[in-house]
Amino acid sequence: MTTPEVHALTGPYVLNALPEDERTGFEAHLADCQSCSAEVAELREAANKLGTAVATDPPPPLKARVLAEIATTRQLPPLVKPDAPTTEPGLAPAPVRRRFNRRSFFSLAAAGLAVAGAGGIAIDQYRENSSTRQENEQLAALLAEPDAQTARGNLKTGGQATIVMSPAKDRAIVLLHNLPKLPADKTYQLWLMDKSRDLHSVGLATTDESKLIQGGIIGKIALGVTVENKPGASEPTLTTATVIPMA
Amino acid sequence: MSEETALPWPRVVDPSAGSPADLMARVARGDADAFAQLYDLMAPRVYGLIRRVLRNPAQSEEVTQEVMVEVWRTATRYDADRGSLTSWILTMAHRRAIDRVRSEQSSTDREQAVAAASSITEYDEVAEAVTTNLEVEQVRHCLSSLTELQRESVTLAYYGGYSYREVAELLDAKLATIKARMRDGLIRLRDCLGVTGR
Repeated sequence: MTTPEVHALTGPYVLNALPEDERTGFEAHLADCQSCSAEVAELREAANKLGTAVATDPPPPLKARVLAEIATTRQLPPLVKPDAPTTEPGLAPAPVRRRFNRRSFFSLAAAGLAVAGAGGIAIDQYRENSSTRQENEQLAALLAEPDAQTARGNLKTGGQATIVMSPAKDRAIVLLHNLPKLPADKTYQLWLMDKSRDLHSVGLATTDESKLIQGGIIGKIALGVTVENKPGASEPTLTTATVIPMA
Repeated sequence: MSEETALPWPRVVDPSAGSPADLMARVARGDADAFAQLYDLMAPRVYGLIRRVLRNPAQSEEVTQEVMVEVWRTATRYDADRGSLTSWILTMAHRRAIDRVRSEQSSTDREQAVAAASSITEYDEVAEAVTTNLEVEQVRHCLSSLTELQRESVTLAYYGGYSYREVAELLDAKLATIKARMRDGLIRLRDCLGVTGR
């Protein structure tokens, strides 16, 4: 995509009118494009005036329900500003930054792994708030497990996949990065391979995302990624399969 | 008429509470009273927007609740340097509403059944009335300064919850044209409203 074309996406992005894959791609671009971020912030203020213009009182009982719910909801801890990043010997920052996408990079910092040059990464604080925030926390928690292992590889069909797993917790997170966009009738599908080399489906995936897998991790030896017809397959199409060994 | 009563959210916030930003700082420190005040300020905008996108009152209430609880949960992450509080909260509200539109497009029937069974619908007619005020007038005026294609592209996406492809289909225009009209429409709106991204 050419630069002016990417730039034109600020409008649809702010209006939440981009499909998931294009949104992810644009957010990756936003991280490196200061003028885009500034424009997004301004256009967002303008768009949200449209929201203010249709203010309507909610039904009064809603307030009591919200107040009751917050009384039992723990708040997230504040983000500690990364003003003193320390570099640990033995952990090369550059490859970490390249291999992990922007979201997971952030999580690494959150997990206490020191990464140099933390400044300059633009994190969309709005996205951070909900699902991404949760993903980051899940990833940070998983990385903090004493038995956490990671494996990564380049996919045959393009892009990279990284798996972080903790057999003790029976949990894994798969991070996908730079996977090529698929035709509308195709989907990526993730599999875990057991010792007898059988692949077990653990769900579908889009181009750039992280997926939490709960359960079924113990005894698995590899991550598989295939391209399948929607809505996914019960048997993997092996011609498209990339297998990333975990050990 | 004083300026305060002209707002569509006329419940008076304790004057000692200070600005919404001050309230937010208290909310971030776990102050539930401050949150109750913030709710009074923000819930009409959140509900109004979600309602405009989703239409279904029961569903709109549910999503409003999710958003307001999320505001509480993530209050510590709000950074005033990166945008106004209203914009931060409405961005969350809009995204949640859109997520709901996209994920539930196929289950409209079920939702309609839920809505029909809900007592909330009785409240509906009352809630429909939006008080006119200066800000609303200004937005209306600025929207009317857009070209028709800009205005339709922006409002079909923002209020209608349509993706740019769907908007292009509805307006029978090229994808690139719609993307560009969304952007230049918002730019014109920004300039007319005189807003900044901070």
